[in-house]
Amino acid sequence: MALLEVHDVNSGYGELQILWDASMSLEPGQLTTLVGSNGSGKTTLLRTIMGQLKPWSGSVIFDGEDVSKLPPYTKADLGLIMVPEGRQLFSSMSVRENLEMGATPKRARAHMAQNLERIFDIFPRLAERADQKAGTMSGGEQQMLAVARGIMSEPRILMVDELSLGLAPVLTLDLFMALRKLRNEGLTILLVEQNVRMALKVSDYAYVFNEGRVNLSGPSSEVENNEEVRRAYLGI
Amino acid sequence: MGEVLITSALDGLLIGVIYGLAAMGLTLIFGVMDVINLAHGPLIAVGMFGVYLLFTFLGINPFVALLIMAVIGLLLGFFIYFVAVNRVIDAPPLSSLLSTFSVNMMIIGVGTALLTTSSYNVEYSLGSFEFGFFRVPGARLMAALAALVVTGLLYLFMYRTRPGKYIRAVADNRASAELMGIPSTRILALAFGIGVMLAVVAGGLIATILPINILAGGSFELKSFVIVVLGGLGNPLGALFGGLILGLIEGLVPVVMKTTWVPVIEYALFVLILLVRPQGLMGAKK
Repeated sequence: MALLEVHDVNSGYGELQILWDASMSLEPGQLTTLVGSNGSGKTTLLRTIMGQLKPWSGSVIFDGEDVSKLPPYTKADLGLIMVPEGRQLFSSMSVRENLEMGATPKRARAHMAQNLERIFDIFPRLAERADQKAGTMSGGEQQMLAVARGIMSEPRILMVDELSLGLAPVLTLDLFMALRKLRNEGLTILLVEQNVRMALKVSDYAYVFNEGRVNLSGPSSEVENNEEVRRAYLGI
Repeated sequence: MGEVLITSALDGLLIGVIYGLAAMGLTLIFGVMDVINLAHGPLIAVGMFGVYLLFTFLGINPFVALLIMAVIGLLLGFFIYFVAVNRVIDAPPLSSLLSTFSVNMMIIGVGTALLTTSSYNVEYSLGSFEFGFFRVPGARLMAALAALVVTGLLYLFMYRTRPGKYIRAVADNRASAELMGIPSTRILALAFGIGVMLAVVAGGLIATILPINILAGGSFELKSFVIVVLGGLGNPLGALFGGLILGLIEGLVPVVMKTTWVPVIEYALFVLILLVRPQGLMGAKK
């Protein structure tokens, strides 16, 4: 059974509708990616799943329960964790404090010490900078921290918005590998990406989004070989 | 002359700590939610009269009364937050200015009806302490020490406890805090409650050393604005620093000029800082 299901969601900002009957589902333990061009509604879909935007119609089902109307902090407590676009760190707080704030949901708070050790293992750079203010780090380190803060929440689903935005290729590769490793440890991940080529390489399943609706979906290896996708996003 | 200067400076510093404490309440609320609490002065008066009434009619020691008023201040802060602030928190700043100003008018109105605007005294003396050639009134020393303890506790709370860190996280990035599972509305109410508590406690401490009346909070509110600008808007430690500077001015100026020059110099400094260093001497938030 799918861990998260989005059924025919319509949503947007004010009068402006962005999502048009968007549907998707996440299988547990898989890394699913949501790709599409700029302004296609990927971030809007994530924000609607998280409850930062209320769906106008349609539903969001998490683990068999309708969570469409819950606020973000309740969803975080249930295990729906989003790493927002542009990192959104607590920039005046230290790296360690940012990670502590990640460990707010009750499940996560009990294992904070172990999780912190695990994070410092995956991202040794963060251990070196533990007492530094988050806002003073480089963009790549900040993105690492944003992902690490998400992991500290012990997500049942980790949703990452624009992982690679503004990062050097080497760093991007590192972060993709880290996500892949988490997926191999059993974490369910939804990755929203503009770097379509990388996203398809690293993921199990893919949704291609266009103008607020799902255009195409399937196992990533098939989507990668789809004529339309190759032409529109991969430039082949 | 030297002895007078030292005694006056010390006197000023002692009262300055209490000014700093009052200003901390104002700057904490602004730093966390960008709301300027115009009910700050009357809330200081609530603290003054709370301590006065508990002491005069129930015979409770002023410093015990202060603890009781701290709890009442916190609860009053929650109440004011949910009634007057929560719904306008994302509105343009004028809305929260007007709504907290309304709270200001209501407290003053009720207070004036019940207590008139006459002056009251907490008849409480701790004698005085002598250090070498200068002496300090005991009540002033106690009040300043209490203000320092409260400041220290505030810092421990904000930097060492989870709720304190939540307040800092919400101040930093409210949407992000929600994504981690932090219920931001409750945290904002807590921050507002603590801000009000600091104003109330500062008022209670003032009552142990100076005569009080229901409008007396107003002048401390104005001083708080000067202090907050001196120290940096939204910076609690800056408020303590600004309070000490203001206290020093009030202590030292009368030694060389007429006392009426004190506000002139204070507000000239206020304007000067706004012109030359609007982020305050210790830096504003962000």
